[in-house]
Amino acid sequence: MDTQWPRFQVFVQSKSGAPYMDVGSVHAPDAELALLNARDVFARRPESISMWVVPVEAILWKTSQELRQDAEFTGDAHTIQPENTANQPYHIFCKFKQAGTHEFVTTVETASASAALRQAYQSLLHRQNALSWCIIPDQAVTKSDPNEVDSLYAPALDKTFRMSTDFRTVSAMRAIKSTPNENE
Amino acid sequence: MPTPQFFDAALTESLALFFLALGDDELLLGHRDSEWCGHAPILEEDIAFANLALDEIGHATYWYELYAGLVNENPEQIADHLVFERPWKAWRNIQIVELPRGDWAFSVLRQYLFDSAEVIRLEALARSSYVPLAGVAGKIRKEELYHLRHSRAWIQRLGLGTQESQSRLQNALQSLWPYTNQMWQSVPGEDRLMEAGLLPGSQALQTIWLEQTSAFLRECALTIPSTPPLILNRTQHTTHLKTLIAEMHSVFKLDPQAQW
Repeated sequence: MDTQWPRFQVFVQSKSGAPYMDVGSVHAPDAELALLNARDVFARRPESISMWVVPVEAILWKTSQELRQDAEFTGDAHTIQPENTANQPYHIFCKFKQAGTHEFVTTVETASASAALRQAYQSLLHRQNALSWCIIPDQAVTKSDPNEVDSLYAPALDKTFRMSTDFRTVSAMRAIKSTPNENE
Repeated sequence: MPTPQFFDAALTESLALFFLALGDDELLLGHRDSEWCGHAPILEEDIAFANLALDEIGHATYWYELYAGLVNENPEQIADHLVFERPWKAWRNIQIVELPRGDWAFSVLRQYLFDSAEVIRLEALARSSYVPLAGVAGKIRKEELYHLRHSRAWIQRLGLGTQESQSRLQNALQSLWPYTNQMWQSVPGEDRLMEAGLLPGSQALQTIWLEQTSAFLRECALTIPSTPPLILNRTQHTTHLKTLIAEMHSVFKLDPQAQW
C-alpha cells in the first residue's frame, strides 16, 4: 500500500514583478499543509514573497521534443481536470535552460490544458528556446495570502544564511580526512 | 542598552527575571523540538519542526540580550554563558518545556499550547512602555503567528483525523493541560511592573487564552481535562531538566575555550 502523502509542486516569487519559478515539490496531506511545508522547505532563505502549491496530477508537462512529434498537441488528457467547455485561466511555465527551472511566461484562457498549451506555443515569441512546458489550471493553485508576507517570509530577512562552506568544520574535516592515518 | 532612569533596583531585578524566564522557556522548547530532527513523521515536517526549533532558540537570544542590558552583562556573550555555563537548578523556565518530547501528538500539542499563549502575550508586550521590550515582542510575534498557524493545522488534522491520532492527542492533552497554568504564573514583582506600564497583567491574558484555546481544542474533537492546574514556581524543576542540561552541556564542557 502506498502510504506516501500526495505531492504538490511549489512555485515561488522572489520579488514583486519577478516571475513565479518552479522550485520543487513537497508531500502533504492537503493544500494548506503543502503551503506551510513549502514555506519551511523553500522559503528559509530570504528569497520569497509569495508561493503557489499545485497538486502534481493537475499539471500538464510537455517537452518541446514531444510537441514537435505531435503537432496537434492532442496528447495526454488531463487526469483530474474535468471535461469542461467553458474557458478558464491556465498558467504557462517554460524552461529555457537545461540546468534551469520552469518560469512563468503567460496566462491564457482556454477550455482545456492542451488547448492552453497549443495557444501559448503558437503565440510565444521565443518558443524555439523553450525546452519544456508546464501548464497549470488556475483553479488547482493554492496561493499564499499576501497579508501573511510578514509572518511567512519576512522573518527570514533577519536571519543569517550561511552556506555549509562558511563553517570552518567543513574545511577542517577535509584537512583531517586528507591526512594519512598514522595508525594504519 | 542603558537602564531607564525611572527604574529602581527592585523594578530592574523583576524585569530582568521576566526576560530570563521567557528566554529559558524558548530555549528549552527549541531544544526539545530539535530532538525531532531526523525523527519527525515525514521529511517535510522534519525540516519544518527543525526550523521552528531554530526560531525558538533565536527568540531566546533576544530575551537574553534584553536581560543582559538590565544586569550589565555583555549581550554578545550572555546567551552562551546562560545556556552552557549555568547549572540546571538556576534555570527559570516553566516545567511544560522541560518535559521529554513524548510522541508526535505530545510535541505538536505542547507547541500549540505554548504558541497560542505566546501570541497573546507578545501582542500585549508589544505595547510595553519599555521600548526595547516592545520592539523585541513585535519582532518575535511575526514569526509566532506562523508557528501558531502551523501547530493549529496539525492539531486540527490529528484531532479530526483517525481514532488513533485523536486518542493520542487527547492523551497528550491529559498530561499537558495541568502544566499550562504555569505559563501565566506571575514573576515576583510583576504587580509593580504592571503599574509602571512595563508588563501586561498575566491573569487577564490567561482568561483570554483559556477561552480561545478551549474553544479551538473542542472544535478539534478534544475534551478539556478537569484535572486541577499545577501550582508551580520557576525555581521548581523535574529531573528531566537535569538530564537535558547535562546532555546539552556535554560537548561544551569538553573544551569550554574552543572557538566556534
